[in-house]
Amino acid sequence: METLAGIAPYVLLAAYALATGAYGVLFFTGRREASVWASPLLQLAVALHLAYLAWLTWRWEQFPGATVSQALTVVAFAVAIIYLFLEWLGGERASGFWLVGQVLVFQLLAVVLHEPQPPRRELFEHPIFGIHVFLALLGYAAFAVAASYGFLFLRLYRELKRSRFSVFYGKLPPLEVLERMMTGALAVGFAALTGALLDGILWVRQTSALDWQHDPMILLTFATWLLYGGALLLRRLRRWQGRQTAMASLAGLGVIVVSLVAVHTFVVGFHRSF
Amino acid sequence: MALSDPPGAAAEPASEAAEGPALLAVGIDHRSAPLELRERVAFSREDSEGLLLRLMARPEVAEAYLISTCNRTEVYLRPREQERAFRAAMELAFARAPEVERDGRFWVLHDSEAARHLLAVACGLESMVLGEPEILGQVKRSAELAEAVGSCGTVVKRLLRSALQAGRRARAETEIGEGAVSLGYAVVELARHIFVGVEGRSCLVLGGGETAVLAARALVEKGVRDLRFALRGTHRHEELGQQFPGARLTTFQERYATLADCDVLIASTSADEPVIEAGELRQVMRQRRSRPLLVVDLGVPRNVGRRVGRLDNVFLHDLDSLQHLVARNLEHRRAEVPRVEAIVAEELEHFGSWYQGLAAEPLVAELQRRAERIRLQEVEGARDRFPTELQDELDRLTRSLVRKILHHPSTRLRAGGAERRLAHLELARELFQLGEGEEE
Repeated sequence: METLAGIAPYVLLAAYALATGAYGVLFFTGRREASVWASPLLQLAVALHLAYLAWLTWRWEQFPGATVSQALTVVAFAVAIIYLFLEWLGGERASGFWLVGQVLVFQLLAVVLHEPQPPRRELFEHPIFGIHVFLALLGYAAFAVAASYGFLFLRLYRELKRSRFSVFYGKLPPLEVLERMMTGALAVGFAALTGALLDGILWVRQTSALDWQHDPMILLTFATWLLYGGALLLRRLRRWQGRQTAMASLAGLGVIVVSLVAVHTFVVGFHRSF
Repeated sequence: MALSDPPGAAAEPASEAAEGPALLAVGIDHRSAPLELRERVAFSREDSEGLLLRLMARPEVAEAYLISTCNRTEVYLRPREQERAFRAAMELAFARAPEVERDGRFWVLHDSEAARHLLAVACGLESMVLGEPEILGQVKRSAELAEAVGSCGTVVKRLLRSALQAGRRARAETEIGEGAVSLGYAVVELARHIFVGVEGRSCLVLGGGETAVLAARALVEKGVRDLRFALRGTHRHEELGQQFPGARLTTFQERYATLADCDVLIASTSADEPVIEAGELRQVMRQRRSRPLLVVDLGVPRNVGRRVGRLDNVFLHDLDSLQHLVARNLEHRRAEVPRVEAIVAEELEHFGSWYQGLAAEPLVAELQRRAERIRLQEVEGARDRFPTELQDELDRLTRSLVRKILHHPSTRLRAGGAERRLAHLELARELFQLGEGEEE
């Protein structure tokens, strides 16, 4: 059992490295074989990852988010499933290298920071809290994916505007596809964050342990929810097109990262009270 | 690579046994002859059929293949006698333009160089526009014709298979055919980087000049559904209507209103002043809810105001930017040439190995005949010792034994490099006493 716990993160790392390699070959060379192998390799890695997370939950009887390493591997998993969903939605794989590459980086960090004996934390044993953490991580991961597509969109947009064609031009999918994938990621992120907030409310009502009006993490999450909700509403009203949405995605991610760092620097615990 | 050899060189082929089959290729192409000459020796399908039949009627020609396009007319022969086969090709294929031979406007290639040239042609390496895709289809259609006529035998048929395989691999494994290399297709390429496909899109063309028509034709070929022309006069209406039967004509004054539901605008009028201005287009973009618009300005002087390019979701490209894109794509294709050449070399090697494997066939056949004869003798001698119901089983078992024992030696005799194969053949002759008359 201990051996399995020790080698599983490395197996996942190798599986994601293989998938990243296949997507890389597809992006840089456009070889048809890579197109055939890339998605199945990623699907296999995601299936293994799901089994690993289920096993961790069963083994430690708590949601695997109690350590930084566990949170990172959940984020890697979240980015991978969001990308697979977007690949299905957009029907293209050319941008996969940039997203699956991020999965690899998250999993690599999870391996580096891996703790064989994670601390027991009662909070994570509660299913409602576990779902809350997972949905929040899924939401933030989706916003990171949206920002990545926003970056690729702006890059191609500028090249097409300025008639300066770099290696990105010709390798990336059309602007409309990038926009569709970016919007899809935003929608997933917004839905997941809404779920995390609702679940959090349920949790607070059950425990009454949290002074939520003064918890910076809750206020930050609510502000993020409003920010992205506003962006999606403006798109829905057709006031915003791809460029504005891409810039909002990048700005939104910037706000999230800065706020998270600030909260972690100045407040003890993830939430104020724990 | 086309080499210009003097006709006399055709009489000295490389050693067939050591290298590959004797082949002879005679041709003219866009590098060796001007269009005026090429068009006189271009062959229609019917003419090609006649030429192949006439070539096959010559005793000095064993197999023949012809490819004739606007950029090349090339005859590939498997000659029984090199010099006479060369004369036959010159007389029959280039008789309509005697100056081809007189002015040395042709090239001659022998053996592996001839084979390599055909593979390079199929990959688009010899095309006027490097990597153009049509040539592979032309090689294929010519191959089908030669097969239908019966002019290609074992060797040329296998060579054509190698050429088609090399062409397909070049397109699948490299980017030799990627990126537009003409102005018309550069517009299509730009549209494909903005929209999800150009199929079903709508396009407004201002002006009916030659460049505008080329760009419009490229878009229609790629599936643009709704094509509209807005002309300042009416003198070209009929002509454009004939060229683009599905196109709609609209008035020049309605150009901004028409743009509200178009995806691509091509401007190519002879106006001295811009005919599309940023202020009016901004209003149009509001109506379009800022959906992306590709604006291609092919006019000289330019037809579209410079500030148009600053509008959100308007992608303005002029002749310079299109030419820059074409040059970039050509450069990219040139960078792919070494990879395509490697594919050509690999396929050529497979072809050579296959051909050399043919040399082992008589020996392999003799070995198998001898083993079968021994098997039959032994089975006949032992048959009385087996009950009737096991006779079939005895046959099956001994046949299977012989086949399995001979499988590996037969494969080894057919495979390997030329030198190694020769050594194997010698050894097999000695060990099995093959080629020394019938066994007692």
